[in-house]
Amino acid sequence: MPPSSCAICSSRALIVRPKNHQKLCKSCFLSIFEEEIHHTITTNTLFQYGERVAIGASGGKDSTVLASVLKTLNERHDYGVDFVLLSIDEGIKGYRDDSLETVKRNAVQYGMELCIVGYDELYGWTMDQVVEQVGKKGNCTYCGVFRRQALDRGAAKLGINHVVTGHNADDIAETVLMNLLRGDLPRLSRTTHIITSSPSSPIKRSKPLKYAYEKEIVLYAHHKKLDYFSTECIYSPEAFRGSARALIKNLERVRPSAILDVVRSGEDMAKLVPEEVSAIQRCAGKNEAIQEGGGEEGFGGCGSGGGRSSGGEMIDMERRLNENEAAREREIDIAPANITSKDTPPIQKITVRQQGARTPRKLPRQHMGQCIRCGYLSSQEICKACMLLDGLNKNRPKTKIEVSLEDGEGSSALKG
Amino acid sequence: MHCQQKCPNEDGRDCFVRYVNTKVIKRMENFRIRNSTIGNPRLFLLPLSFGVSSVALLHLLDSQLQGQIDRMNRTGYGLLVVHVNMPSTAPTGIYMKRLQQRYPRHTHFHVDLAELFDYPNGILESSGKSGLSQALGAPDGQVSNQDKLDHLLDSLPSATSRADMLGILRTRLLVEIAKKRGCEGIMWGDSTTRLAEKTLAETAKGRGFSLPWQISDGASPHSLVFRYPLRDLLKKELVTYASLTTPPLDPIIIPEQTPQALTSKNTTIDDLVTNYFQSVEESFPSIVANVVRTSGKLSAHQPFGGGERCTICEMPITAGSGGLHGWGGDQGKLGPSSSDPHPVEKLCYGCARSTLGATFSARTASQG
Ligand SMILES: [Zn+2]
Ligand SMILES: [Zn+2]
Ligand SMILES: [Zn+2]
Repeated sequence: MPPSSCAICSSRALIVRPKNHQKLCKSCFLSIFEEEIHHTITTNTLFQYGERVAIGASGGKDSTVLASVLKTLNERHDYGVDFVLLSIDEGIKGYRDDSLETVKRNAVQYGMELCIVGYDELYGWTMDQVVEQVGKKGNCTYCGVFRRQALDRGAAKLGINHVVTGHNADDIAETVLMNLLRGDLPRLSRTTHIITSSPSSPIKRSKPLKYAYEKEIVLYAHHKKLDYFSTECIYSPEAFRGSARALIKNLERVRPSAILDVVRSGEDMAKLVPEEVSAIQRCAGKNEAIQEGGGEEGFGGCGSGGGRSSGGEMIDMERRLNENEAAREREIDIAPANITSKDTPPIQKITVRQQGARTPRKLPRQHMGQCIRCGYLSSQEICKACMLLDGLNKNRPKTKIEVSLEDGEGSSALKG
Repeated sequence: MHCQQKCPNEDGRDCFVRYVNTKVIKRMENFRIRNSTIGNPRLFLLPLSFGVSSVALLHLLDSQLQGQIDRMNRTGYGLLVVHVNMPSTAPTGIYMKRLQQRYPRHTHFHVDLAELFDYPNGILESSGKSGLSQALGAPDGQVSNQDKLDHLLDSLPSATSRADMLGILRTRLLVEIAKKRGCEGIMWGDSTTRLAEKTLAETAKGRGFSLPWQISDGASPHSLVFRYPLRDLLKKELVTYASLTTPPLDPIIIPEQTPQALTSKNTTIDDLVTNYFQSVEESFPSIVANVVRTSGKLSAHQPFGGGERCTICEMPITAGSGGLHGWGGDQGKLGPSSSDPHPVEKLCYGCARSTLGATFSARTASQG
């Protein structure tokens, strides 16, 4: 069989694009990958000329590719953006130690400023300490909630109001499916927006890799010989995410466009989420969603674990749903049963008793306010991060470490 | 045995049967006799695949109707039972016969999927080259319906696309039959499990936009009412139920084929999702139900009045959102040079995806 030629320039094709199986040569692949991201950036007007933007950098493949591509495009298309690398040190031994070294090298390679914010400084707890206390199960909740605030606080410290993250199409597709499985329409709706912002936090988030396939990101990093840290987060993703991730991988195998198609479905479904469910006040920008600060927009805190998980979250949810169901059944039983007479056929009898179940249940409307502790946007009086911290601190064995949430801006987190 | 309440009955059998009845009757409250007018019975089409769910549905509705006759000597509605012979299904003659014997009250008939080409105003019109026929590029001329259907399916790019299109064609044929026979709507046999599968599978096929019309009770874009009386019952509950009726329903249920390995080249998105929910249903039945509740909350903002419709699936397309292009994930001219064969056709994203790269355009062109 003769070697295939590149679909664009006719030189020898070396790469089959995971996204659509198009055969390309190396340089055409690199440039189409970059130009698609440029396309995403320009059609959504992600950046303003002269803006300072923080790249949430973990040292992993996604954020490293993001930083590299943004540097390239910034120079090629003169975005006029001042990019800064912003890293979070969760305090996971053997994970962040090495990946932070990678980020430090990236800062030199890309000539970008670097800022590292530690969980210990922000919350008084490293992830290792959290895991020691709560066990491996459920630690992703902490990781995700803490990380979100950490990035915003780090950005605020730098006087930056825009953070870009490396979430890719696979992440978004996975989150769409996961939120369907979890029954979380508000999150599903938020997930699919390319820009998210919250009224109480001046920090805007965006996802320039929203339509980029994970496999292509890996290919890009490989062919550009990028320096990234490839060990994945050692803490397992929660069961719903693990389950959705496995399904996405299978779907992609059967139909490569499936990842993009799920993202598209997610965008369309976001428009179908009733206002009272979504708790989103749509603002001027068409692609913007306002989101609750306390929770990650449905992305687990930990990068891409192996998909192994205990299933604990699913078991918990199954139990909760069962209890709700039982409560509903009890309500039905109180409905008039007096009509049942001996000669009524059983079916008719049941019909009457079931009537109580028809009243549609009111959906609790979420009211957005600010956390009374830290001022973060929250639907509750106390935000998720502060609640998690309360729980942690209550059970902390002895010396209670003061949490520097109030004066987070004061303490130095600049390490890089 | 799956007994919900404390059951006086040793094996819980009656209790379980009543539980299933209850779940269905609750969904059929609008179909009591007092809602019907004498002399003008409401008529519904009941598509029966000889799978456990649709057979169970027929049995359950038939019992409801029997109860109405016993009490009032008339029924609140009537059923037309139809089986569509799909290209892959085995002959169903013996099953049709048993069906007729067991439920003589209703009219039973079967049609081949290819009969879709016979509907004049329709969908697969062979001479006028309009509508679906044009969109799918069915050949003209003196070719049998079956050949046209085969050609159409052969030209689709993958097993997933074929399964996707087969489902759509089946729905459209049923809609045409229901309209022609004066039915008010269609009673679908989808269980909770099936509706959850549909939610994820349609999402995976880029058809998330159409979910409000695909899993909710009520008016459908096909100008017929769609009903899902089994929406509160899991597939596994229906399997149990089918063995508990007197006599059991087994003789009229065609056993499911053991699914092929999910690594096969012919694996479809539907296969994957079905397989996925089989395991979820086993350990987390409430989560299955919750998926359906969740997607059921999605609501269509505009009614499907004058707006644009997809030529293939008839789902409403919001202005400017048809086809694969013109959204964020579309990289415009950067992508593979426009191989979209339907520049003029009005296709929804899902149908555009399923027919992308289909070979029929070229073949149709070469035929004239
Ligand atoms: Zn090339
Ligand atoms: Zn707080
Ligand atoms: Zn369509």
